[in-house]
This record gives sequence, C-alpha cells and structure tokens, in this order.
Amino acid sequence: MSDKAKGKMTVFKTDRHEDAAAMVFVSLVVAFVLVYMAYVVPTITIKPSQDGKLVAVAVQPDQEIKKGDVMYTFEYTDKKFVNGQLEEKIATKDVKASTNGKVLSVSVKEGDALKKGKTAILVMDHEKGTLP
Amino acid sequence: MEEKSRVANILAIVPGLAVMVGTLFLLRTYVEPWMKDAVVLGQKGWLVKVLSLNYILLSIIAGIIYRNVFFGGRIPDWAEAGFRTTRLFIKSGVIMLGSLYTLQKLAKVGSIAILLISTFVFGTVFFVIWYGKRIGMDRSMIGVMGASCGVCGVSAAVATAPGVNAKPSEVALAIATILGFGIMTMFISPFIGKALMMSDYQFGAWVGTGILNSGQVLATCLAFNPTFAPGTAVAYGEIWNVVRVISIPFVVFIVTTWACKSEAAESCDATGQKMDMAKVFKDRFPIFVLGFFGMTALSSLGWLGAEGSNTLHLLRDVMSWIFGIGLVGQGAYIDFRELKRAGGKPLRVGLVAGTLKYVVALIVIMLFVSKDASF
Repeated sequence: MSDKAKGKMTVFKTDRHEDAAAMVFVSLVVAFVLVYMAYVVPTITIKPSQDGKLVAVAVQPDQEIKKGDVMYTFEYTDKKFVNGQLEEKIATKDVKASTNGKVLSVSVKEGDALKKGKTAILVMDHEKGTLP
Repeated sequence: MEEKSRVANILAIVPGLAVMVGTLFLLRTYVEPWMKDAVVLGQKGWLVKVLSLNYILLSIIAGIIYRNVFFGGRIPDWAEAGFRTTRLFIKSGVIMLGSLYTLQKLAKVGSIAILLISTFVFGTVFFVIWYGKRIGMDRSMIGVMGASCGVCGVSAAVATAPGVNAKPSEVALAIATILGFGIMTMFISPFIGKALMMSDYQFGAWVGTGILNSGQVLATCLAFNPTFAPGTAVAYGEIWNVVRVISIPFVVFIVTTWACKSEAAESCDATGQKMDMAKVFKDRFPIFVLGFFGMTALSSLGWLGAEGSNTLHLLRDVMSWIFGIGLVGQGAYIDFRELKRAGGKPLRVGLVAGTLKYVVALIVIMLFVSKDASF
C-alpha cells in the first residue's frame, strides 16, 4: 500500500466518491431484495411483529387470499406515553395480507402465545411480481 | 496497467473485510444468543437486559479489541484496506435507515430536529473557539476540534482540516478525542435513559443531539431499544443525526471563515481566496444524505413493501448486517494510545465541550420535548 493511502479513512479517492459508492451499493442491495422477494422467494412464512397471544386465525390451508384480507388477529400489550405517563393496555390487532396468494399451511391455534419474529403462524405462496 | 492496479486495490480489501464480516457473523450467530440465555447474578439475560449489550455494541467492542490488543495499536497492512471500507458501510446503513420514515413523518419531527441541532451544533462550535483561545490552543487545533465537537467527530474534522491548515496529527487527535468521548457516552446513555424513564422519542432526540458520530448514535439507540422500526429510538435518533450531518458544510464555512479572519489570509484556502459559502456547500455537502431522502421517498410511495411485510423485514435485516460490519471497523479506529496522546489541551476542550453539549441536551430534551411519540 502506498504511503499516500495509509492513514486515509476511505478506500475511495475522495469522500464524495465514497458517498456516491454508498448510494450505488444501497441501490443494488435494495434492487436485489425487491427482485428476490417479488420473483424468487418460493414461500413466505408469516411471523408476528410483536409478542402477544393469538385470538383467531381467519384463514385455512389451500385458501386463496387477497391483499388486505385479514389473516389472523392477536392480542398484545400496547405501551404508549400519554401526557408523559406510560400507559399499558391490552389491545387486539388484525394482521392483513400484504399481497395476493394462497395459504399453504397454518401452524398455530387460537390461544397460542406468539413470540416476535419467532413463531411461524402460517406459510403462504404469493403472486409473483408483488411484495409479500 | 491501471486496470491491474484497480483489481489489486479491490483484492486488497478482501482480508480486512473478511475479518469484519466474520466477526459480525460470530457475534450474531453465537455470542449474542449465548448472552441472551446466560445467567449472571442469578438473572437470565442479565448481560443484555442490564448492560444493554447487543451485537451492535459488541461489534464496536470487538473492533476496539482488534486494534488495541490483537493488532498492537495499528491496523496491519494486510487488513488496512478492508477496514477502510468502514465509512462506506456506515453511510450505506444511514441511507437504508431512510426506509423507516415517510415524508410526512419526517416533516413532523424535522423542524424540531433542525431547531435543536442548529442551536447545539453552532453553540458548541462557538464555545470551542472561545474556550480553545482562552486556554491558548493552536488556531488550527481549535478549528478541527470546533468542527469535531460541534457536528461530527470524523467527517467534519477531515472536511475542516484544509481550511484551517491543520496537520494530520491534529485531525487524528480531534477524531480520537471525540470517538473516545462517544464510546463513554455510548455505554452510559442507555442507563441514564432508562433511569429517567425517557421515551424512545426523547432518547433518540437526546442521543442524536449529544453524541457526535453516526455509528455511535445508532449503537446507543439500539442499546436502548434493539428494534429497527418506525417509532423506535433509532428511528428518531437518526433524523437528528441526518440533520447534524447536513450541517457539516455550514460548520466548515464558519470555522474556516473564523480562521481566515483570525490570522491573515494564509488559511483562507489553497488559492488565498476568501471562502465562498456556495463553493463550500458544493464541495462539502455530504451527498449520501440524498440517498437517505431517496429511501424515504420510496417508503412513502410504498415501493419497499408494506410496514410489517416480509420484504421490509428482510431489508431491515440486511441493513442491520451492513451497520454491524461498519461498526466492527469503527471500533478498530479507536486507538487508546492515540487517546492518551490526545491528552492536555485538546482532550480538555473535547471533554468539556462534549460533556456540556451532552448534559445541556439532556436537560433541554427532558424539559421541552414531550415523551409522547411523534409518530
């Protein structure tokens, strides 16, 4: 490595080049993720976005679902600051399909505990070209 | 010939980058899960719950250990090019964070962020100039310290150096002082935030104002709340961080103009011309923040998938890996020997200005920023 390069904090000629490279890199990453999710990924496993308890499953295996259809309802603890005070209350939430598709399997039942990002609720196929 | 050297340059990146990626892989796959289950002082997950240690903080610690223990204080030649991709990853991560917002959400908190950041950035710059002069620090050192303490430890120091004729050693000292201060605040801020029962909004605003480095802002926010999602500490902290980064050209202009006025024209710029704000803005504007707003625009249009979708989940997972790789590298730029060398006046100015900003920002946030989430 040349002495000139030593001590520099970037592999690029200037900071401006590094900024541009970061934008190109992110564009490629985002394009890859979107294409992968829209066209390549074979099935989608739906997992909860927060801890809670399953109240109802509104779909069953082999059922065709449309974007916006309710897939399941769960109960969770909603924590929110209201007028400076932390309020906790039990709330329920309907989780809707973000794309058209077909339910392949359902692996939970009413009353089951849901662990954020861990519990597999259902597996579905999705319409190619859409983002699940 | 040029082609060959370009290929060689790219290949030179591989070993160091492999160390960074491999380290993050080990931390995420083995170390963090082990810490979540480990029983310390009779409590399961004590290391994570009480010490707020997650893979993000561990990445920085691993980098520090590489540099100061395994590498003997200097990144070896075989790894140096790879570690110099650190800022590329941090900047890429910041751009991807734009996906956490919509334009409406950004507008909602943007004005508060601009007000607070402007006050603290320029207040700190003027304080450092005043205090540095008072204790007899060199003008060039005052310039880089002012920019480092005011806006951003690394980028602003590097951007200001030519305008104030700072020596590379002065830039290194300023960066070491500020990163060292940041490391301290990174570990104590989550405790303070939890002790004061700060909301994610308040914590993000405080850390985004009081901590001076993009990577450290992110790591501190994730130590407080490890979730990458709208409405979390990292989502708020990053708005403040981006506003701070945007202020770099303004700070460069002010510091350089001050240096020009305080000592003839020799430091005005390389050609002896007076500094021109438009030129500084054109030359120094950190264009990667345009990428951040680009991501926010895509998110607002719904082109990145719906909130809670598997697509956004994957995108955020990739983002967390990109940040993690960058933070291993960031840790490796913290050299305790340099920190020791930074002693004396620069360290005094850095600590006083950094602490003042950190504490006053905390008081202002607690008094004037509501706990209620803004979005």
